[in-house]
Amino acid sequence: MKAPGFSRKTLCIPYAVFLIFFVVIPMCVILFYAFTDSEMHFSFSNFLRFFSDPTKLSTIVYSIVISLITTVICLVIAYPVALILARSKLKKKFIILMLFVLPMWINFVLRINAIREFFNLLSQADALSWLETANIFKTVVGMVYDFLPFMILPLYTTMLKIDDSLYEASADLGANSFTTFFRITLPLSMPGIMSGVTMVFLPSMTNYVVSDMLGNAKVTIIGKFISDYFGNDWHMGSMIALVLLIVVFVSTWLTGGFHSEENVRGANL
Amino acid sequence: MKKKRIFAVALAGAMLLPTLAMLSGCGGEEVVTLRVYNWEEYIDEGGEQTFIFGELHELDEDGKPIKDENGNHIHIESDIVDDDYKAWYEEAMGHPLSEEGPRILDDFCEWYERTHHQKIRVEYSTFGTNEDMYNEIVLGNEYDLLCPSDYMIMKLAAEGRLERYDESFFDPSIPENYYVRNVSPFIAEKFETNAGLDVRKDPEGENIYWKDFAAGYMWGTTGFVYNPAALEAAGISEEELGSLGWDVFTDKRFRGKITAKDNVRDTYFAALGVTFQDDLLALDRTGADYITDLTAIFNATDDATIDVVEPTLMKIKENIYSFETDTGKSDMVQGKIWLNYAWSGDAVYALDLAESGKSEDGEDEQTAYLNYFVPEAGSNLFFDGWVMPKGANKEAAQAFVNFMSMPQNAMRNSYYIGYTSVIAGETDDGDPAMLTYADYLYGEEEDEENFYDLSYFFGAEDGTYGIYADEEQRTKRQLFAQFPTPEVIARSAVMDYYDEEASMRINELWSRVKAESLEPWTIVVIVVAVVGIVGAVLLIKFGNKIDFFRTRPKKGYEKVKEERA
Repeated sequence: MKAPGFSRKTLCIPYAVFLIFFVVIPMCVILFYAFTDSEMHFSFSNFLRFFSDPTKLSTIVYSIVISLITTVICLVIAYPVALILARSKLKKKFIILMLFVLPMWINFVLRINAIREFFNLLSQADALSWLETANIFKTVVGMVYDFLPFMILPLYTTMLKIDDSLYEASADLGANSFTTFFRITLPLSMPGIMSGVTMVFLPSMTNYVVSDMLGNAKVTIIGKFISDYFGNDWHMGSMIALVLLIVVFVSTWLTGGFHSEENVRGANL
Repeated sequence: MKKKRIFAVALAGAMLLPTLAMLSGCGGEEVVTLRVYNWEEYIDEGGEQTFIFGELHELDEDGKPIKDENGNHIHIESDIVDDDYKAWYEEAMGHPLSEEGPRILDDFCEWYERTHHQKIRVEYSTFGTNEDMYNEIVLGNEYDLLCPSDYMIMKLAAEGRLERYDESFFDPSIPENYYVRNVSPFIAEKFETNAGLDVRKDPEGENIYWKDFAAGYMWGTTGFVYNPAALEAAGISEEELGSLGWDVFTDKRFRGKITAKDNVRDTYFAALGVTFQDDLLALDRTGADYITDLTAIFNATDDATIDVVEPTLMKIKENIYSFETDTGKSDMVQGKIWLNYAWSGDAVYALDLAESGKSEDGEDEQTAYLNYFVPEAGSNLFFDGWVMPKGANKEAAQAFVNFMSMPQNAMRNSYYIGYTSVIAGETDDGDPAMLTYADYLYGEEEDEENFYDLSYFFGAEDGTYGIYADEEQRTKRQLFAQFPTPEVIARSAVMDYYDEEASMRINELWSRVKAESLEPWTIVVIVVAVVGIVGAVLLIKFGNKIDFFRTRPKKGYEKVKEERA
């Protein structure tokens, strides 16, 4: 007889229950709504309506573009920071890291409100009055501000793992810093880049609180669209959510999100 | 319809879930629970803003004014909660004033226990839009009392989701029936006739009259809050503003200085006003069909109308500063925008807020001076009412409605949120309570021409009831916003609900308006770019598995291979 006690399987039960109730079932509901009409009959009409409507397609494209811009800016800002932090011999570098991560501890709607007021203040100056109507600019700045820590952290943790002896070897073999960067730092920090990109690109497609508050609700990204449709037409809303899910799936796959090797997802977030 | 300030928690947390705010809990055994689902910030929540109705005049327990021996109302001059007030409150309400100040839901629990000999607990939760509330109901969430707007009342009733009010609710001889005795005859008439909209049928084939399903709570108009000083600086006089009417939405001089609502119902309504302003002005105002024609124009949802409204909506989007639901008020007060399309209650709130600044020595100092106007061509008249969904605890729900209809409670709510209560007060004993309230807030010394006639609201002959107020209050300030003139009401249409097919078309229209319509070539360029990136990534990932891309061995090697073979 087996001794009573916890096996690995029993330890999985809480998570399995969570998964079923908050992931699998909602997913099925979305699928169900996406492929039914208002009489709850099976129908492809939402599918056809979505792909024959230029508005919806351009909103998807528009969201992707805004997310791409956000991601690139985040990467450009975060990479040097993470590199400097990881390579520096500073004893108190965690303080600098903390400065970047600290905003994450404050409620994000409060931060966005604060940045809105900050822009208000700036736009009082004559030279900056264009800020008042620069909705896309403000949205992107808000997104970058919001997601920057999600880019820095995975980059930082991957770079920490790079063995110092590799740099020494590289210097020994006569490589200049330029070559070292392209032959050692960049390839080895690739998992961190991928992880950071995924963590910034995907949420920024749907984070419509930023676009509503900083873009004066004149910038409509796909998340806002879904929310609007869920006010009146759950079927269309579900279809848009489904399409977004596919976009997310494809981009995760492309950035290597489904690899099982430990190293690929460099972040310990 | 009247979504006020959105707070952080509501946004960041559960987007689709209502924010459950357990505002009240009067514990005990055998407690009845009353589940009330109301608009956000649509009830007196106590605290500093609470209107101390003792300020106005003393009311006895039935809400009737107490008068001194000369027949004058007894005023309490102090506006602070002192010991006198506490004593008075305890006597009037039958329980002591709580630390947080008078909280209306606590007061209801106490009152219910005293009158119904039954303990009650109120589960109070709030919603942000009529549509959110509707979804909650359809999903099967159970409530005893809801507070939807006019068109949503009609929709819920037509779908057979509502209980009818009891006959006894309308019996004025029952002492606890405060609603039927105090409701404004003007509102009661609107609820009996569905404010002139078509009478629809419920699933059992019976005619729907709002009166059977709903008891009024708040009402008002929509119009524009404007900043006269800023407009003057831009060379636009108030007369010109009045003559522009709805065209302010598309007038280039207001570019980036005006806001619209971030919901399809109100902004579509406004766009109809802009598009058909000339037709609306051309209607014969003395004709018998005037209000029918007006309502038809403001409720048009046919394809031809949508086709002409769409370019207008695009122009509006181009011209406005933002689509907003709650930021308009602060933007107005800060002077960022000149015009804010607003519900009258929010307008009152914004006007008050603009004036509430205090200088360091405690003197009142005006930070901005705002006014309110309703377009000459016509606007929207709205009502929010209490309805009971199927399966509600009708007894407790109706008691709640009656409690909120006690004049002093109507005043407290109205004072707190800025909207106008449907309650007028009884007229058989001198001035109705709400008239005294309006007089307290806006009244001035009587002179020859400053009479503001409110008789329509109290269901009396012209000239019977009114207050003396200065010209600004009568034409463009809080008094005018809270109690519009009969002329404004005569040119205001009530919103009907869209049937399912129209609703779908208008939502599509709204998504076209809100979305960024990219030029086809831009889409092509972007799609090509994205496909390019995807392709490049795929190539890097799988390139070495495809023979074509595999690094070719040097020719010499191939020769050796052949030779060996």
